[in-house]
Amino acid sequence: MAMMVGTLHRLIGRRQVVCGSAQVQPCECDTCVSIRAQATHCLNAETKSRILLREWLSPEQLAQYEESALFEVVGSKTGKRYRIHHGRLQNVYELDEEGHPIRGWCFMPEGGLALAMGDVMLAQKIALEADEELAITAAMPF
Amino acid sequence: MGIQIVIDNSGDSRFEFDPTDEDAVAKATERFKELTGLGYTAAERTASGRSRKVTEFDPTATEVLFMPRLVGG
Repeated sequence: MAMMVGTLHRLIGRRQVVCGSAQVQPCECDTCVSIRAQATHCLNAETKSRILLREWLSPEQLAQYEESALFEVVGSKTGKRYRIHHGRLQNVYELDEEGHPIRGWCFMPEGGLALAMGDVMLAQKIALEADEELAITAAMPF
Repeated sequence: MGIQIVIDNSGDSRFEFDPTDEDAVAKATERFKELTGLGYTAAERTASGRSRKVTEFDPTATEVLFMPRLVGG
């Protein structure tokens, strides 16, 4: 986190030097404070979402995810297999019987662009495993 | 203890409740109805690690996750 904030400060080029010492303190202007708060919020959300995703993956899915940054799910209605890649958009593929991708399906929970990536992937997994028909009805093919 | 996990832009928000506490169960029931009424999907994990949709509040369910309605990308 400290490294991330440091990087942000270097990027925005604003630091306050305390008079009479070599100590450099974070800038407390509204912009910097806001950026730091946002960075902390985003980092926490991403971290939480990845923990939650790992908790909800089956042992097989977790092994796939750790090895290849993707995991497979089985649709609740058709029994088709889908592959969910690490990502938010255009990251879900329907597989044929040999495991080759034959079609992409793009869907996410409402407000998904503001959600952490792990949460989006978890929602995609749950949707396909718990209510495949609803997921595919909402999805756009690609 | 039961827990309701709501996906939101902070990652998630968690609400624990004691299934033997009537008031807590009433609040958890209300939260379930409110969220599903807003279009959230409620799901629980099966023993195999798959997910199952939940349509009725069950105070004995140990962990239920709520996610916003789906939209096409």
